[in-house]
Order: sequence, then C-alpha cells, then structure tokens
Amino acid sequence: MSEDIIQQLKTVYLFRGLSDEALSPLAQKVGVLKLMRDDVLMRKGERGESLYMIHDGWMKVVTEDSRGGELIINKCGPGETIGEMALFDQAPRSASVIALEDVTVLELKQDDFQKILDERPGLSLVIIHGLSSRLRFSTTYIEKAIDWSQKIAEGDYSFIDYTPTLLRRAGSDEDKAGQLLSAFFKMVKRVKEREDGLKQQVEKLTFEIDQARRKREFDEITSTELYTRIKEQARKLREQRFERQDE
Amino acid sequence: MNKGRIISIHSFRGGTGKSNITANLAAQAALAGKRVGVVDADIQSPGIHVLFGLNESKMGRTLNDFLHGKCAIVEAAFAVGKNSGDAEGRAKLAGKDLWLIPSSIAGREISQVLRSGYDFNKLNEGLQTLIKELNLDYLFIDTHPGLNEETLLSIAISDIIIVILRPDDQDIQGTAVTVDVARSLDVPKMILLVNKALPKLDRADIKARFEAEFDAPVAGFMPLTFDLAENASKDLFSLSRPEHEWSLALREVAGAVLAMK
Repeated sequence: MSEDIIQQLKTVYLFRGLSDEALSPLAQKVGVLKLMRDDVLMRKGERGESLYMIHDGWMKVVTEDSRGGELIINKCGPGETIGEMALFDQAPRSASVIALEDVTVLELKQDDFQKILDERPGLSLVIIHGLSSRLRFSTTYIEKAIDWSQKIAEGDYSFIDYTPTLLRRAGSDEDKAGQLLSAFFKMVKRVKEREDGLKQQVEKLTFEIDQARRKREFDEITSTELYTRIKEQARKLREQRFERQDE
Repeated sequence: MNKGRIISIHSFRGGTGKSNITANLAAQAALAGKRVGVVDADIQSPGIHVLFGLNESKMGRTLNDFLHGKCAIVEAAFAVGKNSGDAEGRAKLAGKDLWLIPSSIAGREISQVLRSGYDFNKLNEGLQTLIKELNLDYLFIDTHPGLNEETLLSIAISDIIIVILRPDDQDIQGTAVTVDVARSLDVPKMILLVNKALPKLDRADIKARFEAEFDAPVAGFMPLTFDLAENASKDLFSLSRPEHEWSLALREVAGAVLAMK
C-alpha cells in the first residue's frame, strides 16, 4: 500500500515536484478510511482539518438548494483530491461529501503535514512552487474569461474558432478556474447558437389600415373641383397620345 | 413597345428615399442604353440634381423657367452624359443619353410657382415636347411627397406610377389613399416598392399582404442600409457600389420596370 500511496500523492498538484524519497515520510502519515454508501466524509460548514484522496469508489459533492433539498454539484472518483486547502487553513468545508458506494479514501491530517514541514523546510518551497503555478494558471484563465466577456459584449464571437487547444487543457485539468473557463466557453457557444437562431427568425410585419379613414381621405381629394378637372384633362391627353401613336 | 413612357415616382411621406431611387432607376435605364429624361417636379423641395452632380453654380435654365414661359423645355435639360464629372459612379454615365430637368433652388422662384400653381396643360405640353425632341424612351418624374396639386398632375399624366413606401403604419395608411387616387385617375400601371426593409421582416408575407391590400404588384424590397445614407447625396449609389445589396435590389426593380409592356 505504501508504494500505492506514494503514487497517489504524486497526483496531487501540491506534491507534484517531490521525489519518492521526499514523499515517503508523508506517505507514512497517510491513513486509510473505508466508507460505505451514504457514509459522510465531510459536512458543509465543518472545520476542515484533513486532505482526502479517493483511492477507489465514487463520492458525491453536495450542497443544499434554496428549499433545503440536496443539490449534487459534482462527483469525485479514484485519483481525485478533496479539500487540499485544509492542510493550510482551517476554513469551513464549502460542501458535504458523501459516498455513493464502497469507497477507500486516503487521509492526510493537517497536524501531521505541518509537523513534516517543520522537519523539512525544503518541502515547503516545492509546495509553494506547486501552489504558485496553479495560481498562475488560474490567473490566465480569469484573464481569458474577462477578455471573452468583453468580446461577447461587442458581439464578437470569433474566439470560438481559435481556442480549442486551451479548452482541452482546461477541461482535462482538475483545477476550478479551468473548469470555470470550460463551462464559460460552452455557455458562449450556446448563446451564439441561440443568437444565430434569432437572427434567422423572420418577423411578420403587423399593420392595420384604417379603412374608414382611407375612404374619407380619398373622398376629400376626389370630390374637389380641381380633381375632376385634372382627371378630365388627363383622360383627354391619354386619348390624344393614343391617337398619335396610332398614326 | 410604345416610346416615351412617363414614370412618376411617388411616396406619401418624405424621407422614403424617393429621389435616390428615382435617380438610380433613371441611371440604370440610361446604362442599359435607353434614352432617359428625369424631371424634378418636386418644386417645393428640389434635390435630385445633387445626385446627378449639378450644383447651384452649374444650374442653368430650370423647369420653373419653362413654366413661366421664359424658355423652351429642352433648354432646361442638363445633359448628364456630357457632364458626368469626377464622381466614380456618375462617370459611368459618360456618353449615355440621360437628361435632367431640374427645379429651381432659388427661393423666390419656388414661391412664385407655388403661388400661381402649375398650369396643367403647360406642364404636359413640356413633357410631351421633351419626349419628342430628345426622342426619349422613358421620362421619370420625381414628385413632391403627399397628394398636393402638382403631384396629382404628375400622377394623372403617368403611364406607370411607382409608389414607394416604408413598412410602417403611417406610410401604409397614406399609401392606401395614394393607390386609390392613382387608380381613380386611370393610371395604366402601378407598382409598389418597399423601401428601408429590415432584414428580419418576412418579405414573402409582406408582398402577399400588400398586393392583396393595394391590388398592385410589389416590385421589390430596398434594404435599409447605412452605407447608402453615408454616400447618398454624393453619387449614384447603384453605380458607385454596384455589388452592394441595395444596388442589386435596385437593378432588379429597374429590370422589372424596363420589361413592362
């Protein structure tokens, strides 16, 4: 299991730069939890004191909807990390995590983690490096989202065509900023599709002619002496032209 | 085909783009090799001369002079083909048989005609002389919007009336009256032209309903375009921007008018 644990620790972005040797003391502190369906790993609002890594099985991340019902916001499976920030702070958990089936979870407690850090100050630097590169990615994604927002506001959707590479990376990454960007991108595509649909929708012109008014105004014009004279003269002129053309 | 057809272009309200359409239709007819005259019968607010590159300093005799017996009608005819000038579109009219009979833009002369009114026979005699002496195939008359005396005159002596309307309630209501009056004046042919049509409007639906309501064919839809508004008074748009959607629509209408029996 120890080798297994080291491999799993390596998938956590915080520990990505560490050698097997450096991870070994951490691995020794990792505990194994066995959960059954509906067992609660953590509750929303509780103080977080541990990082968890799912070894096998699936769990649901839930919060409450406006009526107090359960709202599943995500599902986590083997290899995924939950609540890593609890290693540094003791902020309340933002959601509850409940087992969907038999699940094995690896646990690293904050106290154990900090003790190891005290013993090995070099480890801190590697971890800070992991955190800062994550932050850099997040910043890039946020800047992208800002850039896109401005373009969308101006009706410019051209970026949809030249961003697939960025999205593949964002979509496959576990980090939240990447997921946000991916969701944002999908949303923009849908909005554009809807907008294009609206543009193609033809509108029927609504109009109504006031027939009484039409008749009244026609009568006003045609009842004048001037009109009668014009009509009569026009008739004569047409006849003359007709005769001329016949000649 | 009978020669010397009189086509008057009318709209119930101003600002429908009437002068622009008239000038461009006439230009297209001339470009197709027809002998064409354009009379600016909008004495109250003349303007079509600008489109043909005629300005105040170049303006010689006018329709007003003829109506007051100061000159023969042919003396007031400005040969556009010989004065097509430097504008890109108009330059294409060089050598074409196109004449413009402008209205005076001098305020005094405008009010003089308005006070004394048109002489029906005088105007008609002038138009017939023009057709004969210049051997015209078509004579286009740009009228004043609405249904005042001189406009009724223009309509009455026309062989074809093109009624321009925008797809809005006020225009549609006024056009209904115009169409009824023109029919009552026995104008042989009448066509409708929808101007400033937004792309989202269902044109087939409008065409069917207008034709049912007015009992006259809808010859075309001129799209609403800012490009035209920017260029409008400087040049003949259908010549300077021949591939623009507005120009394509206009040429279609011109084709329909020229094909009329």
